[in-house]
Amino acid sequence: MPVMALCAVAAVLAWSADQPFGLLIPIAALFLSVHGHRAYLLYAVVTIGFLASLLVGAANGGTVRDHAMSAATFFAMALCMGAVVSTGTWPPAASGAVWGAIWRILRPYTPLRVAGGAGSGESIVPNGSPSPSVIHPDDRSAVAHAAAYAFWTGVPQVMSYRHRQPDGSYRRAELRAEPGYGVSVDVDAMVSGPDDRWTASDALDETAEVVRAAKVIESLHGKAWAFDAEGKFIYVTPAAQSAIGMSVDDLNAPVRGGAFVDGGDVGWSRGVHPDDYADAAAKLRHCLRTGNYWNVEYRMLRATGQYVWHRISARPAYDDQGKISGWYGTSIDIDVYKRTEAALRASERALSQLIDLVPSHIWRLTSDGQPVFFNKRMVDFLGVDVAGAREPGASRLEALMEFVHPDDATVFKDAFDRCRVSGDSFSTRYRLRRADGAYRWMSSRAEPIRDNGGRIVQWYGICHDIDDQMHTEEALRRSERRLQQLIDAVPALIWSTTQEGRPTYVNKRFTEVTGATLEDITASDGSPSLSVIHPDDRRVAMEAVVSAFETGRPYVMRYRQLRRGGAYRWTETRAEALRDESGAVCQWYGVSVDIDDLVSAQQALRERERELSHLVDMVPSMLWRLDPDGEPVFFSKRMVDYFGLDVGECGTPPVGRLAAAVSALAHPDDAARLREALERSLAHGESFELNYRLRRADGVYRWMSGRAEPMRDESGRIVQWYGLSHDIDDQVRGEEALRERERGLRQLVETLPAMIDCAAPDGEPIYRSRQLREFLGYGLEDLKEAGKSGLTATLESGVHPDDLAVVRKKYAQSLSTGEPYARRHRLRRFDGEYRWVETRAAAMRDVEGAIVQWNVICLDIDGEVRAQEELGLARERMARAGHAASLAELSASIAHEVNQPLAAIVANSNACQRWLTAEPANLERALKTVERIIRDANSAADVVSRIRALFKHSSEARGAASIATVIAEARDFMAEEAIRRGIRFDVAFDNDLPVLVLDRVQVQQVLINLVRNGMDAMGSTPGAKVLGLRAYRLEDLVRIEVSDRGPGVEFPEKIFEPFFTTKKDGMGMGLAICRSIVEAHGGRLWIEENEPRGARFIFTLPVERTASP
Amino acid sequence: MTVEDHVIFIVDDDASLREALIDLLESHGLRAVAFGSAGEYVEASKPDVPACLILDVELPDINGLDLQRQIAEGDYPPVVFVTGHGDIPSSVRAIKHGAVDFLTKPFSDGDLMSALRAGLARDRQARAERGELAALRERYATLTTRERDVFPLVISGLLNKQAAAQLEISEVTLQIHRRNVMQKMAAASLADLVRMAEKLNVPVTHSRRAGNT
Repeated sequence: MPVMALCAVAAVLAWSADQPFGLLIPIAALFLSVHGHRAYLLYAVVTIGFLASLLVGAANGGTVRDHAMSAATFFAMALCMGAVVSTGTWPPAASGAVWGAIWRILRPYTPLRVAGGAGSGESIVPNGSPSPSVIHPDDRSAVAHAAAYAFWTGVPQVMSYRHRQPDGSYRRAELRAEPGYGVSVDVDAMVSGPDDRWTASDALDETAEVVRAAKVIESLHGKAWAFDAEGKFIYVTPAAQSAIGMSVDDLNAPVRGGAFVDGGDVGWSRGVHPDDYADAAAKLRHCLRTGNYWNVEYRMLRATGQYVWHRISARPAYDDQGKISGWYGTSIDIDVYKRTEAALRASERALSQLIDLVPSHIWRLTSDGQPVFFNKRMVDFLGVDVAGAREPGASRLEALMEFVHPDDATVFKDAFDRCRVSGDSFSTRYRLRRADGAYRWMSSRAEPIRDNGGRIVQWYGICHDIDDQMHTEEALRRSERRLQQLIDAVPALIWSTTQEGRPTYVNKRFTEVTGATLEDITASDGSPSLSVIHPDDRRVAMEAVVSAFETGRPYVMRYRQLRRGGAYRWTETRAEALRDESGAVCQWYGVSVDIDDLVSAQQALRERERELSHLVDMVPSMLWRLDPDGEPVFFSKRMVDYFGLDVGECGTPPVGRLAAAVSALAHPDDAARLREALERSLAHGESFELNYRLRRADGVYRWMSGRAEPMRDESGRIVQWYGLSHDIDDQVRGEEALRERERGLRQLVETLPAMIDCAAPDGEPIYRSRQLREFLGYGLEDLKEAGKSGLTATLESGVHPDDLAVVRKKYAQSLSTGEPYARRHRLRRFDGEYRWVETRAAAMRDVEGAIVQWNVICLDIDGEVRAQEELGLARERMARAGHAASLAELSASIAHEVNQPLAAIVANSNACQRWLTAEPANLERALKTVERIIRDANSAADVVSRIRALFKHSSEARGAASIATVIAEARDFMAEEAIRRGIRFDVAFDNDLPVLVLDRVQVQQVLINLVRNGMDAMGSTPGAKVLGLRAYRLEDLVRIEVSDRGPGVEFPEKIFEPFFTTKKDGMGMGLAICRSIVEAHGGRLWIEENEPRGARFIFTLPVERTASP
Repeated sequence: MTVEDHVIFIVDDDASLREALIDLLESHGLRAVAFGSAGEYVEASKPDVPACLILDVELPDINGLDLQRQIAEGDYPPVVFVTGHGDIPSSVRAIKHGAVDFLTKPFSDGDLMSALRAGLARDRQARAERGELAALRERYATLTTRERDVFPLVISGLLNKQAAAQLEISEVTLQIHRRNVMQKMAAASLADLVRMAEKLNVPVTHSRRAGNT
């Protein structure tokens, strides 16, 4: 390339110096220096330049044409130069170029040369091109490839192939291809046959044995030579002569000193590399003397000026006398070998260094497992060499086993034996004893090398010290195990997910606690399933999770987590993303902690706090708190609402809040008092208690009852003041109103126009109203002196002596029974006059019903009583007049009795008339009707006569009759009515009652009347209703009693008077008539009080008149 | 006046008067049944023929006037009161409660008979009216619910289209209902139907002028 660059520079210079033809010289140099495809390229460029110049010249005129033609001439000359400088065969025909090259390479070895052309017609094709047929078909492509490669690249090639011999057999031959030596120059010379110059020594004894031998060799090997016993060359293969650029004579030409064998130098020395010459020459001389075979390698100088390694061999030939007649030999170009060997050696050295330097133990075993090689490192490690591992009586392998840790020996040996038998790769880890006795972990691998038959030839192994790694791994494993244990032991649920949220791990506790495995919390699409979260929290949790996964921000959330067994517990989950170096999220790690108790406690606490605050706010009092200095720190809500003033709103320093609150709220009249009390309490730590007025939010002052107590810490120091203000305004006002009312009541009682007296439950007077005091003329105080009880003194001194007994008895009765007391009696006034009073007393009882007090009212009714007496008399008179007027009613009653039969009579008469006037007259019916008329008329007459009898007291109707029978009849008559009214008869009379002369109807009337009266009297009586009927003889009288248990008769003297009645619908005639009847019979009728109660009517009838007929 | 088409009830505690009255009424050709007390009368089964009741004011178990008030609840025969001592308040009360007459014992044959005749006549008429009302009710019962809705609207005098609008039915439909009502009630004219409605106490609920309720 420097040549080309130089040429190019020269060309440019020449062109610019307007000396184009001066360029021809560098171009010629260029042609000389290029080979191969570069030559093609040069030719192509020059040719194109030529053609282009011609075209330009043809197309243009003038100076351009001149220049173009000049250029064309230049290019034509350059082409000619190229052709002259290059070989005559150049450029080769494109098609035959490759095989041409091969042929030129092969030419010297073809049998043509050896066999002198006989029978080798098929070796050379008629046009002179080489034929591939001499090469074994299997090698043809390889040879062609190598040749082509050498030709086109200029890289020397050496390869062997099978060359066909004339007899059809193949012999191995070697093909060498090397630029500048094997190809371009020498071949032509060889082809052209023996040259004069080169074959100058043929004049010598060609028949000399050594020469013949050399020729044989030449025929076999291509290169041969021979020299005589003195070491003088007598034959050299012409090709070799041309190759080294020296003829036989040149070789033998003396250079220095005498004959070669005597130590002189000849021309040969020039063809040997100076470094090798001395050794080669010495050996040759030695061989010449001794007849030993000369085998030497030295660098031979080629004609091209290159030194090439050759191996030269020579053997002596002996004549008949056994004397060395000459030497023949051959030289083999071993340049490539030599170089290869050098490279190999270098490579081997490097490899060996590498093997020794590799930080691993490398070893080799035989197929049966015996160690054959340990690298240096291994030797250093074990402290023994391969040979040293051998022990008497044991194989080297067994010796090696000594170094394996006893724990691993079995495993190692098993694995190794298995591999040795099966031929599999061997890989195991074990501990190996180092030279200092320490065991270190090793990772060992071995691979078998097999021959073509597949048989294991050797084992190559490597053994790597992984002790640190093992320890690290162990530590790592331990650490991981610890970590795992830690994770499993941590009382939290730990999990991780991918950055997309797919769960990748849950710790054991997670599954234990929730019962959910990794699969359970992974939804079918890989997203995290929230099945362990309470349905109510799921939406929020999902939002948090999604947002976290989107933003990559850590999140904390609380939710209720499903536990094994179906319970939900509050759980706090925190998750954070693990990021790689670039900050991208690669994992999410989360931890869930059971905070149920905490949440529950918090809730409970909150609940309690709320309740407390509720309580504080709901308590219908105002609660407040002061700090030890008396500054308010808390007002309850009720208080704030009540006063419309919050803690923060009352005053700012320097004015104290308390002072501000007091002056803002307290009534001006109370402010000083309140302030003073507060200050005193605060100063002395005393409880505070005061009633005062405070202004409510609506501006109204209301009475408050304030209390405060200090709260002290353990040391007794006041920590807080707790205060309570209670609105007692209503109470205060109520009390006021009560007092007012009591005063009013007292005034009322005092001023009432009645005498009021209050007495203790035992009747002892405890209060007397003014009216009573004035009436009596003395008060309670005056009574005390008497020495008697107040009650007795009052009664004895006041009550009229006639009434005293009853009053005392009744009052005592009321006191003992608790029944209300009411009585009219006369009471002595202060002036000595007895006046009628009505005293009423009622017991005042407490809730249990016990008598607390007797309240007595005493009214002066003297005037009324007297007026009533007057009125009673007048009313009596009026009543009598009224009853007289009702005689008309009596007559009406009588009329009714009479009208009844009269109506029948009238009706019958009418009927009779109709029967008689009928056509024909119904006499039968008429007669019957008339009979009825008579009967009814009699009946009417009876009624009339009876009424008359009532009033006329006639004795015509009297006859003898048994009084017992009469009574029985009367009882029977009333029996039905008695049953209807629930009254029992109690009848008792003597058996020897006499027969009396009497009007039976009248006496019966009397009895019935009395019985009916008694029944009426008991109509509303509680208790047993018994009507007594009694008759007994008392001397010459029969006494008949009719008793009842009614309320008794109030006016016993008046009831027998006509028209006096106590009944609503009575006429007051009954008893009057009864008495008149009884008296008409000569008896008496009167009334007595019945025992235990009620009234008893008694009448008597005389006996003697009837007893004596 | 045949024996079977009427009956006179007598309630009086006086047996002789009962006998006399039965005899008297028989002599007048009137069938009579007598009872001694109000209870007996109430208990007895009574033939379904025009009747009249002679009732004594003073009865052993109950006052005659009270009995009158009690039986006034149902269909009862006209009452002729007889009393031993009549007073004005009782008679006024009796007449107010629909008694035919109030006779004081002893009473004359003529007064009694004229009162009884008046009573029987009144009962006959009442029975006839009851019969007609029963027939009307029977006819009314045959009306459908819709026709009963239409009935008051028609007798209220609403125009057909007003009534139809009220019931939210078409005028033609209303006319059909109206025709059915007339036919079923056997009313010769609208006035006839209005008269029937009055007897049946069908209320006039709408006014044509107001146009609505």
